[in-house]
Amino acid sequence: MIYEEIKFKADPFSYDLKFEDRITLVGGDSGTGKTVLYEMLEDLKMTEDYSAIKLFNYKTDGVFEQLKQCRNKFVVIDNADILIDDEIRRFINFEFSNQYMLFLRNCDGLNVSGKSFKVMRLCNNRVTLEEEL
Amino acid sequence: MIDIYTKKENSKDWIIQNDLFFNLYTSNEEMSENEIALIRQVDDAKLTSDKHIETIYGLGTIRNLSSGCKTLLNIVKHPEKVVCVEECGPNVLKIIFSMDNIKIYMSRPTLVELDEDVQIRFNDTEIVTGNSGYNAWWSREYERREADDL
Repeated sequence: MIYEEIKFKADPFSYDLKFEDRITLVGGDSGTGKTVLYEMLEDLKMTEDYSAIKLFNYKTDGVFEQLKQCRNKFVVIDNADILIDDEIRRFINFEFSNQYMLFLRNCDGLNVSGKSFKVMRLCNNRVTLEEEL
Repeated sequence: MIDIYTKKENSKDWIIQNDLFFNLYTSNEEMSENEIALIRQVDDAKLTSDKHIETIYGLGTIRNLSSGCKTLLNIVKHPEKVVCVEECGPNVLKIIFSMDNIKIYMSRPTLVELDEDVQIRFNDTEIVTGNSGYNAWWSREYERREADDL
């Protein structure tokens, strides 16, 4: 695991994200703040503690070409349902040096466990990842 | 009738990248009271007349809505287009499947409770009704994919 926890403050919110598998799929309802989190990570990755974060979304050019270069990274992919194909799924499965947080609903072809499926929860301005039932 | 397409096509009549299409086109269209209510329902966002939004995460513009909400508005504003719903959460899918005369793309089934009288046409051919018809169609589709080693 690159990060077992990502913790930061973004007033009025505090984020406390714990990861239990090399691959985390964040799903749940629309409008729960996934893209807001992605935008926060754009800043967070500029810090020394979280410099291993590598971000991809629909604006990223050549997603697979860039992903192939990633080693020992915490890879975050927003819009993953439209961005990742079978080739990228294979890379995610077999490039074990990386950890992945995917904003994705379709887990077909990914080596995931019961601990991979998470939803975002906001309670008293604290954002966490909880197991998706 | 809801038209569902299960094989992706690259066509100008399809919207796959919902964020992009919304940001470039749909967001510049006038929003009706119904659409403002949908924005409130899905993202709990208050839309102002000058297209700003207010949510628990702060102030932004209409382009800061969630991907699911943008998808929903793309469908409402462009019912003639086939819109990819693969990024939508259960809360948005529930609304989509309560609509009529829309066209959507989905490559796999989603967990959603349909009204028993909802009519769905798959890939311009097979018409099914309600939850049981929807689930039965996907079961057959997965048997077909398995047989074709897909």
